[in-house]
Amino acid sequence: MANKRTSATTTQRLIADGAVVAVIAVWWMGARHLPAFVLPGPLDVLKEMARFLIDGGTAYHAAVSFGRVVVSVTIAMSLALALASVVRAAPIFDEVVERRILTFFNSFPSVGWAILGVVWFKISTPTVLFIQTAIILPFCIINALAGFRQIDPDLDELGLSLTRSPIRRFFKVTLPLVAPFLIAGLRVSYGICWKIALVSELFGASSGLGYLLMRAQTTSDAATVFACCLVIVLIFGVTDYFVLRPLAARFSVNQDHAS
Amino acid sequence: MIAALASVSKTESNSRPKTVVVAHLFTLAVLLIWWGYSQIVPDYQLPGPGPVARRVGSFLTNGNDLTQLGISLLHVTAAIGIAFVLGCALAVLSHSFQTLHLLIDGRITPFLNAFSGIGWLFLAILWFGLNDTTVIFAVTLILLPFTIINIGAGLRELDRDLLELGKSLSPNPLRRTMKIVVPLLLPYLFTALRTSFGVSWKVVLTAELFGGNSGVGYLLNVARQEFDTETIFAIIFFILMFVAGSEIVLFRPIQRRLDRRFARGQ
Repeated sequence: MANKRTSATTTQRLIADGAVVAVIAVWWMGARHLPAFVLPGPLDVLKEMARFLIDGGTAYHAAVSFGRVVVSVTIAMSLALALASVVRAAPIFDEVVERRILTFFNSFPSVGWAILGVVWFKISTPTVLFIQTAIILPFCIINALAGFRQIDPDLDELGLSLTRSPIRRFFKVTLPLVAPFLIAGLRVSYGICWKIALVSELFGASSGLGYLLMRAQTTSDAATVFACCLVIVLIFGVTDYFVLRPLAARFSVNQDHAS
Repeated sequence: MIAALASVSKTESNSRPKTVVVAHLFTLAVLLIWWGYSQIVPDYQLPGPGPVARRVGSFLTNGNDLTQLGISLLHVTAAIGIAFVLGCALAVLSHSFQTLHLLIDGRITPFLNAFSGIGWLFLAILWFGLNDTTVIFAVTLILLPFTIINIGAGLRELDRDLLELGKSLSPNPLRRTMKIVVPLLLPYLFTALRTSFGVSWKVVLTAELFGGNSGVGYLLNVARQEFDTETIFAIIFFILMFVAGSEIVLFRPIQRRLDRRFARGQ
């Protein structure tokens, strides 16, 4: 049985990795017959990607984007936590947060924020932060609200009997209880930030990966466009695997399930 | 117990109108602040509610503007449809053929999930030029991971006992699929559709702005270049109404019915 199983996973591995190799081979063959501005070869793209490691200027753009994403996610999550705490403390605002603020941000087109951000604050890093925060805020609010709603009233009651300090209660009881939802929200909004909110750098910045993409686009430099896309995949994949996933497992509700 | 429940629902129905009143007051306050602030800043930065409302009105009577709105709707519908079919196919393939599992769930989905939407858009512009194909391609590829993940989750959560029961009831696999698997998947299919709808409206404007020659995003681009902030606000207003409206009128009631129908352990 165990033997059969390992052979099954080996075929799975063979097919999965074989397909990846096949895609790269087809790409390489196709690129030889197509002009470089339509489809650059894998080697050219790899060279372009290597520049992110070697060339300080290109690495700087990647680092700037990463920094902005982290700051925006932090701001959005704090705002969402504050809003959800208000609803919890004063349920009368439930409708305001859920049916007005959340609906508004959830339906607002991302490029709308990008255009308005530039009209209001000109081209600068705060503009990018504003746009990104506005785009990911609804995802944070949804998770924060869900987290606070799932808090076990008995545990809350227990916390009340253990300490009188509301701040201590917040950090010792409330925060650990909502943590799984916050982490889930963090992962989603981090992903959205890289994938969609990068639009902010197309308009609102003169640095960052979005700016690099835009510049490569206008000069039809397809190799750089490919390289930027793959660098984003790499940054996202690495941080998700090494930071967010372990965090999610650590705070999972089903502890036995996670381990 | 029942009495307690009744009293709870009573207090809920009593406090409910209050929260609604507060919500309406909040809307009013926001409109007032908007109006007040628009009085002090120049028009191109923030037009007041009045001019924006007038522009919305003229939008509705202008044939060309309405056509562009229709084109955007077509883009969204096409992208959702294609992404849904492809997502279903990939999720079902991964579920029914063990050997493909790692390829689809371990390679294709994470790759699509990590790939930047802006990246797809720019690649599509390089490959197809500025047209409808570019827009639909970019939006479809952004939606695809959402549909694969949602439908895959549904397939994994299928109740094995019920499938077993189905095998003993009917030998016909097609009949079993239609009568057992599809109804069980319904909540997940619905979630996939709901997410796709929300995300697609968010990104279709970006796609049309950079990669299209028609649609509301294109109008937005023209308005942006002419500093016509009223039109920008009017377009955003339409998108807000459209997305929020379909949430309230369509998706939320259906979700409530599904929740009631599929609630477990009650």
